Amino acid sequence: MSVQIDFDSSWQDGLLHRIDHDGPWGNWELFKLAVDIERHLVIPEFEGLQAPKHLPNLTPLPHQLETAKQVIENMNGKAILADEVGLGKTIEAGLILKEYMIRGLVNKVLILVPASLVTQWASELNSKFFIPAVTQRKSYVWEQYDVVVSSIDTAKRSPHREIINGLDYDLIIIDEAHKLKNNKTKNYEFVQNLKKKFCLLLTATPIQNRIEEIFNLVSLLKPGHLGSETAFYEKYKRDSRSLNDDEHLKELVNKVMIRNRRADTGIEWTKRKVETIPIEITEQEKELYNAITELKSEGDWTQGSAFSVMTLQREACSSREAVYHTLKNMLEKQENPSQAYKDKIQYLISKVEAVGQNSKAKKALELIQSIDDKVIIFTEYRATQLYLQWFLKQHGITSVPFRGGFKRGKKDWMRELFQKKAQVLIATEAGGEGINLQFCHHIINFDLPWNPMRLEQRIGRIHRLGQEKDVMIYNFAIKDTVEEHILKLLYEKIHLFEKVIGELDDILTKLEFGNIEDHLIDIFSGSSSEGEMRIKMENLTSMIEFANDLKKEDLHAAAGNTSIS
Amino acid sequence: MQQQEIHQFLEQYFLANDCQLLQNGPGFMSVQLTVDLDKELMNRPFYWHYLEKTGGIPNPMQLTFITDQNKAPDSIKGETIHFGSPRLHQIFQSTKSLAGYIRLYENHNYANQQTPLYPWLCLNLKISYKCDRKCDIFRSIGLQLITGQMVEDFHTTLLTVPLTPKIPDYSFTLSPLIKPVSGINRIENFIKMGINNEDHNWAEEARNRWEKDQQLLDHFYENEENKNESYEIEKKALQEQYEPKIIISYINGGLFYLTQKSF
Repeated sequence: MSVQIDFDSSWQDGLLHRIDHDGPWGNWELFKLAVDIERHLVIPEFEGLQAPKHLPNLTPLPHQLETAKQVIENMNGKAILADEVGLGKTIEAGLILKEYMIRGLVNKVLILVPASLVTQWASELNSKFFIPAVTQRKSYVWEQYDVVVSSIDTAKRSPHREIINGLDYDLIIIDEAHKLKNNKTKNYEFVQNLKKKFCLLLTATPIQNRIEEIFNLVSLLKPGHLGSETAFYEKYKRDSRSLNDDEHLKELVNKVMIRNRRADTGIEWTKRKVETIPIEITEQEKELYNAITELKSEGDWTQGSAFSVMTLQREACSSREAVYHTLKNMLEKQENPSQAYKDKIQYLISKVEAVGQNSKAKKALELIQSIDDKVIIFTEYRATQLYLQWFLKQHGITSVPFRGGFKRGKKDWMRELFQKKAQVLIATEAGGEGINLQFCHHIINFDLPWNPMRLEQRIGRIHRLGQEKDVMIYNFAIKDTVEEHILKLLYEKIHLFEKVIGELDDILTKLEFGNIEDHLIDIFSGSSSEGEMRIKMENLTSMIEFANDLKKEDLHAAAGNTSIS
Repeated sequence: MQQQEIHQFLEQYFLANDCQLLQNGPGFMSVQLTVDLDKELMNRPFYWHYLEKTGGIPNPMQLTFITDQNKAPDSIKGETIHFGSPRLHQIFQSTKSLAGYIRLYENHNYANQQTPLYPWLCLNLKISYKCDRKCDIFRSIGLQLITGQMVEDFHTTLLTVPLTPKIPDYSFTLSPLIKPVSGINRIENFIKMGINNEDHNWAEEARNRWEKDQQLLDHFYENEENKNESYEIEKKALQEQYEPKIIISYINGGLFYLTQKSF
């Protein structure tokens, strides 16, 4: 087979010109240097990476090297890196970036990461990869520096947005890219408008079986590759179950996404030890919970407000402060509250006021004292977070709060304080993402999230590469409440905690199951009796178990196939 | 290239360009640029244009490079240079453009004896096999312009020969029978022939991958009546990504006048 050969012919004119005019001729030292450089820059094989040879401070793991290789050789630098939490996506992205820089294909780089990770990204790129990345501090940074790390919230604001839109980037890296699944958001629009040659989207949450997510993320990487939006949806909504089309989509997803799992990496991980701690509550706490539960049978008393009984129930399992906060909001947000509505709220508030102590907090205190080491407490509610901080302080235990809304500097500072000064870090859900706390190995789930992915993100903050000890996870659940049901289902029957999240994801997608959280909400708020609830729960459990079995069979049938399903 | 090698390279580059090293410590160096090198590297044509018009005193810049942050003192502020940094690429490019052509004579020590020097054409080339992946081969070929003898890895041999830009005493150059233009053609043909005889499995495989990707793209556009602009853009992008090509580029080369003994 013949291949087109292009000879660069401009050089010989230069030579002839110099022969005719007797020079000017170059210097022998520089001539030799130029040859030396080329020998360094030559890529001797079609396959393989150059970057690792130039990185004495880094020993990448096999799966990280393999990922970087795949992205460069087979994906043309446009990829979704969807490794499970804690497998080192940053290292993979760094390797790819370095490789392209060495090959001279990338100069101008924009890295968009959660605010809490900006400093860490920049320092890792500098120390491990010798890439002079700077954090965005002033608006001139965009133009003046080649590799800039910033939060997306800063970047999309004026005047930064206008400057960035005017620049041509060679590579864009976006961490926590699962936030870009919805193409109606400002963030999505912002990223879509960036001018880029290569693009890496990093996410711990894989693309699920939602056609829409696939369309949106792939459109960021390869605009236009999937045809027009309308045509795409017509086709895949209409016959989304036809195997032929699924195959195409699968092929496409394999072309743009890499997902490494803990189990495949062959790395020895420290263990996860899970302990469920049932909590007995006081009479007053029980009364509050029951008073809320009774609301369900009273029809549409909330007058169309967005707050549901379910929310209140879950809050009652966390702290009276959380309930109070919501009740107050319900009263304020309602425009013309009826007298009955006001009375109802007042009645509940009186129940809140009757609660004398928080049984969970008491238990947490005992536990923290006995652990006598660093502990992270996760709660879904800010009111609980504040209360716990106050409560622990009463008992001489130092703690620092952590929230997603904190500014970057504050997050770094809190992490630092926790590492050096405080025993406990109290984080709300939003604070769970994007901060690495490997120096700690105890987690208390003060209340449980209903979305298993969020739970994995919590644990992933400490159970990641670099964790040297077994990780202890303590789950608090109050007896005879929704919390106990959830715990029983999610976390005991299907052994969610011991599982790595990729597996569960597999299971759920196999069933075309939808969002597990939606199922739970349906069960708990849509059931009219205890009996109905129990039956529905059992249904859900057996469906999950069924899928699990299916998956095991699958594994036997196609051992070694690691592609997403 | 390790950081230490980068440091050495920068030293050699600036010294070869007659720049003064103001400071040169472990992990860092600062250098006073010459006017020529300032024009080459600093990208400020307006300044130089203005200066030439007004006849002011030229004030070329000083640069400080940090090649190892751990070794360099904290008080030193400068550009961090690493393998892959745009500045280093710029200096690489500059090295190549400043030393693209050369003419040298063997500095033999046959004193008091008339010595003939034979003309050689040297071409240093990079052959890049490019599809969605890439691979390069460095070739250095010498052609004797009288006999037509061709030598591979010519550069390595040259490294063992003492060379000087001025013709040494008691030496005379023999006139080439082969003109440089035809010499270049001979070498190009020689290389092309070699390439044509190679096994091009890699290109075959790339075409297969291309074909598969194209089918996937077509599938997504299958129901669209008139394939629009974005289809064409994507199709073109696939061609650019996969189409196998061999690109031969010159690194540098020139004329060398050598004694018979050297070969």
